[in-house]
Amino acid sequence: MTTTIARPFPWLLTPVFLGVRNRARRRETGDGLRLAVFAGLGFFVAAALFAIVFWLSYKLDQYEELGDYLVRLGLSWLFLTFLSFLAFSALVTSLTTFFLSEDLRLLVAAPLDPDRLFYSRFAKAAAQAGWMVVAFLVPVLLGLGLSRCAGPLFYLVLPLTLLPFVLIPTALGALVTLVLVSTFPARRARDLLMLMGLLFAVALVLLLRVVQPERLLRVEALPDVTGFFATLQSPVTPFFPSFWAGELLFSALQGRIDELHLGALWTTALALVVLTRLAYGRHYFSAWSKAQEARKARFTRLRLLDGLALFLPVSAPSRQLLVKDLKVFLRDTAQWSQLLLLVALAVVYVYNFKVLDLDRIPYMSRVVRNAYAFVNLAMAAFVLSAVSVRFVFPAVSAEGPAFWIVRSAPVSMRSFLWSKFWTGLVPVLLLSTALTVASNEILGIAPFLKVVCGLAIVLMSFALVALAAAMGARHPRFSAENLTQVAGSYGGVAFMVLAVLFILVEIALLGWPSSIYLWSDYNRIPLTAVRLATMALCFAAAIALALYVFLHSMRDGVRALEDLG
Amino acid sequence: MSGAMIRIEDVVKRYGAFTAVDGVSLEVPPGEIHGFLGPNGAGKTTTIRMIAGLLKPTSGRIAIDTFDLATEPVRAKQALGFIPDRPFLYEKLTAAEFLRFHGGLYAMEEKAIAQRAARLLEMFELTRWEGELIESFSHGMKQRLTLAAAFLHRPRAVLVDEPMVGLDPRGARLIKDVFRRMSAEGVAILMSTHTLEVAQEMCDRISIILGGKIIARGTVPELRAQAGGEDEHLTPVFLKLTGGGGFQEIDEGP
Repeated sequence: MTTTIARPFPWLLTPVFLGVRNRARRRETGDGLRLAVFAGLGFFVAAALFAIVFWLSYKLDQYEELGDYLVRLGLSWLFLTFLSFLAFSALVTSLTTFFLSEDLRLLVAAPLDPDRLFYSRFAKAAAQAGWMVVAFLVPVLLGLGLSRCAGPLFYLVLPLTLLPFVLIPTALGALVTLVLVSTFPARRARDLLMLMGLLFAVALVLLLRVVQPERLLRVEALPDVTGFFATLQSPVTPFFPSFWAGELLFSALQGRIDELHLGALWTTALALVVLTRLAYGRHYFSAWSKAQEARKARFTRLRLLDGLALFLPVSAPSRQLLVKDLKVFLRDTAQWSQLLLLVALAVVYVYNFKVLDLDRIPYMSRVVRNAYAFVNLAMAAFVLSAVSVRFVFPAVSAEGPAFWIVRSAPVSMRSFLWSKFWTGLVPVLLLSTALTVASNEILGIAPFLKVVCGLAIVLMSFALVALAAAMGARHPRFSAENLTQVAGSYGGVAFMVLAVLFILVEIALLGWPSSIYLWSDYNRIPLTAVRLATMALCFAAAIALALYVFLHSMRDGVRALEDLG
Repeated sequence: MSGAMIRIEDVVKRYGAFTAVDGVSLEVPPGEIHGFLGPNGAGKTTTIRMIAGLLKPTSGRIAIDTFDLATEPVRAKQALGFIPDRPFLYEKLTAAEFLRFHGGLYAMEEKAIAQRAARLLEMFELTRWEGELIESFSHGMKQRLTLAAAFLHRPRAVLVDEPMVGLDPRGARLIKDVFRRMSAEGVAILMSTHTLEVAQEMCDRISIILGGKIIARGTVPELRAQAGGEDEHLTPVFLKLTGGGGFQEIDEGP
């Protein structure tokens, strides 16, 4: 008989660490680029957060009591915002970690003590739910601590605050997930969670916008500032862990330990973990077993799509591909629900231009307004790239293991990719054109610029959607578990880099001649023939570049698909 | 039979109004290779998943090496080796790392894992690949690695769901040899398969499940007698017992 030895629960996470190590040792194409881009972005965001908070806190320090009051209020709001993020993140990660993960088939069949399995999955869920919040909070809190010359106590209290702050929502999320999975089939529970998460994000975006923080910048609105803070203060409740965390850190900032809130954080965290552990010990296997059974899902037949597709002037294979793509998209809650977030962002985007008070600087108003038109064009193009990388880039990979059906069917790769292109282009073009036209209308820019920007965004939509479709074909990830993973792959990052370069060149090619025209028009100076020729050359170059990117990308994408081994 | 390594008593599994497994009882004594046959959707995989501890039975009792799976799951699973039809393997681990992790799940000591893993990798002709990532393995290699993992902790009972799918003749031969050797050492093997030639060649006894119920059980000659025919091969016997006359339909044109 072999001697047995039960290892502590963190050992069950070794595949995660070994996997990361092995991946780092055997670099795949683009890993370096992806790492550099993400690390650079991460560092930039962290540095920006640190700098902003450092500056803000330093300035507030000059207002003594009011400054302290605002820091305290800010901490409560910061933690409340992150608590709500954590709560939803914990729900989604708990569902995946405890019920949907593929490796559970191996682990549940193994002779593991339920405690060890629970704690290892809980640690994984907490890490997955909390890492991003911690990554954002650390530079913010360091900025605060350094600007206030906080003592070592602050830096000691920091991890003692963040750990229970992450554990509390994770435990609650795991408990709610257990109840949800025990009540609904796992697939429905996932759909419900996705939808709730997205609605929450939409609500948050709209809420932040409705609060109108730009009011703070308006000198004439100073009497309203008190009312503004009163609005902020109302949701801060002393019964929330966010309040305890804020108070604890504020005390530590002043060199004191707030035992009451430290105790409240830790006792709540530990009690919830124990309670969750007990609930999982009793009900986990039944819930897990139920999650395995519920493979059937309710779905809408979407027969209208079949009928409407018949009117499209396209070949039968293209029509079927289009109908299939739309049905798959509309039946997957994880996919279509992202449109809600997109709509909310679009509303906020247009609203931002509506509240932009450019008349406060009358002598510059006209120049700034027209310069803003190009900022607007660039921003709309960035939105367009972000939407393309999320929805168009993964279009080929979305075929997944079923791609053999298309490859073995008498369908050319050309018509396959073009079908993907048109499916992506129509909604993206509508969105980007609507955003640009609406915001330019609100800005009240010169009619000449309205035409230039309108045409530019149409051309850029064709080019960027084609680039996304082609890059997706050049770097497919047929084995990816979800499409978000595809968007974050090497090809996705490379697409974003190329898209940004393309947008910058386009803006430069369009912006310079437009400014020359507007300047001469404003000063009533006729344009010389050389100027006119240079302007025409720039516009022509912008059009040629967009057409080249569009056509070359599609040709390259088709070639990449035909060359697939 | 009191000394059964795998014992299922009147197990039922219901999904809402649908009964997938309806009162199945089964015993596999040490050293027996027991075939578990049935057409698609008959309840084979559901039964196997319940024995592996992946699904909770609606009612009934399952015991591995006398340990009740409901009340002593850890001890029951410790005695069992499970080879699923779609095994999960950590693609970013190497074969050796995966075996080490698997041995740890079964609470084996590091030294014992290293010795046993080396032996099994050699037996399953994977020694050359032990340092390679599993994602680079072919289907057959992954299948052989799953088998090596299942036998790592010296289980006293083995549960196999479709062991021959996707294996080349050499791989299939290897697996048959390993099963025979394990069976000779007293390991009880319950094997679900669609490959009737394999069942006929290897199994001491066979149970046939249809509509969630066991409709026939015995050695191949006993099943032949139950089907009331003189066929030498198991396929016609299986078709007679399970009513599979519709198989010809695909060849018959309109």
